[in-house]
Amino acid sequence: MSMRVAGALVVHELTERVRDRWVLVVTGLFVLLASGIGLYGRAAEDSAAAVTAPSLVTLCAFLVPLVALVLGHDAVVGERERHTLGLLLSLPVGRGEVLLAKFVGRAIALSGSIGLGLGSAALLVQGGQRQVLVELLLPTMLLGAVFLSLGMLLSTVARRHATAASMAVALWFILVFFYDLGLLGALVATGGAISNDVVTWLVAANPAGLYRTTLLVQLSGTAALEEAGILLSLPGSLVQAALWFGWIVVPLAIGALLLTRRRAVTA
Amino acid sequence: MNVSLSGIVVQFGKVTALSGVDLDLQAGEVAVLAGPNGAGKSTLMSVLLGLVEPDAGHLFVDGVDLLEAGTRAHRHFREDLGYLPEAVAFAENLTGRQVMRFFAMARGVKRSKVDDVLERVGLSDARSRAVRGYSRGMRQRLGLGVAILSEPDLLVLDEPTGGLDQQGLSLLWDVLKEYKDAGRRVLMSSHDLTLIERRADCVHILSAGKVKASGTPDMLRRLAGLAVRVRVELQDPSRMEGLAGSLSEDLMVPVDLGEREVGLSIPPSALFQMFRTVESQDAEVSQLRVEEPGLDAVYERLLEAP
Repeated sequence: MSMRVAGALVVHELTERVRDRWVLVVTGLFVLLASGIGLYGRAAEDSAAAVTAPSLVTLCAFLVPLVALVLGHDAVVGERERHTLGLLLSLPVGRGEVLLAKFVGRAIALSGSIGLGLGSAALLVQGGQRQVLVELLLPTMLLGAVFLSLGMLLSTVARRHATAASMAVALWFILVFFYDLGLLGALVATGGAISNDVVTWLVAANPAGLYRTTLLVQLSGTAALEEAGILLSLPGSLVQAALWFGWIVVPLAIGALLLTRRRAVTA
Repeated sequence: MNVSLSGIVVQFGKVTALSGVDLDLQAGEVAVLAGPNGAGKSTLMSVLLGLVEPDAGHLFVDGVDLLEAGTRAHRHFREDLGYLPEAVAFAENLTGRQVMRFFAMARGVKRSKVDDVLERVGLSDARSRAVRGYSRGMRQRLGLGVAILSEPDLLVLDEPTGGLDQQGLSLLWDVLKEYKDAGRRVLMSSHDLTLIERRADCVHILSAGKVKASGTPDMLRRLAGLAVRVRVELQDPSRMEGLAGSLSEDLMVPVDLGEREVGLSIPPSALFQMFRTVESQDAEVSQLRVEEPGLDAVYERLLEAP
């Protein structure tokens, strides 16, 4: 890999995102909502783990995948439609490396937005409670990276920007909204006949579900789930790490393969 | 660096974009691809740039077939290649300087050179403005700056004259001259053959994915066999009628006749005969101008040829 070109591409991506009004608006919105939650938690005078952190997890579980998908979906198809892809690929760099560099640049920008949002909420809670919110940073950044990777895969699959955008929104609805509803519906419909192991793996199979469930269990325990008749034994941290890694790497690898194998990359 | 393409075939579904195209890029030469829309000019450039993988053919660089050697070899070739795409575009929210700095970093060019190149392409004053505020000509200049930034051995310019004003064109001609003088290579495509006529060393006329004709502008003129226009002005207007009468042969058709001047359309092969006829009239010639047909007319004729 040409580190010089890849490094330049990462810096270029980052510079572009920092000057992107859409990214600035979304970051501002995230900071505003997270600060609101932080202020509410402070006024409730409850522990951050009980009020602020679960609310932030819910906010992040909805907002971060959407922002990441929107950020990733035009990485390749957008460049192609803007007629900038040919010039980019005329540089001495492989197509897969271009995709990877774009991912890294965008992931840094996304992580910055997440850091600003969660950081602003952490600043507003009581000193001793901050650690709870700081611990949300890494899983939330991982969640963002997964959906960014999925968005970039869509960007290499789609021939048109509008198609990639539609696919991104559909994927967000499926994984963030309908997946959990479908799972609950299946549990109710079968009268709990689905085994806990299967439920556990179905939860773990969806990054948004795993993020939300893991953090909520970590913050509030399993009591609420047990009351609903769900006994989850989430995968251990090594398996979870492997899952997060796979969700990030596999879509990117498929995207890179598709891009590399495309005969006419700018057509 | 010796670069040649041979037997390039590109098929997009049922459409044949290129059908066995050969192309040699000689050192110190400006090669021009000409042809109507859809002739395959941009596709041929894309093959050279590695943006389109051909169905068949070879891309030899210093004797190595890059299409056989794989992507790493092609990546190495692109180290020494500058490209200006047709309707060049950049990230709209970046400034001209940021765009140039990115390409400088990617091509391993010193950052200090960025401002020099921006000045050279006449964008010094606009360097801190976002590209979204650039006119088409300014974008084209920025694209040209990006292409020549690393002083590559091979410059690939797709319709480089589009949107350029006279100053921009002068800049382009300077670049072409520098490349020729330095023994480097330029491959460019253009619709405006009249504009590039004096700068082209070799013109390849493409039609429906095939090379219809190749050669220097003079070779193509000969190949097209188009008549040249000759204007003969006599010192003594009373001799005009006699001269016009003697010229009314099949090969020398007077196209207009003035009081002192006659305009002729004649095949190049009949030029010598025309001079002798004029001389035989014993009339004092005050002016004689031979106008060769423009390259655009040659192009039209060669495209029509079976």
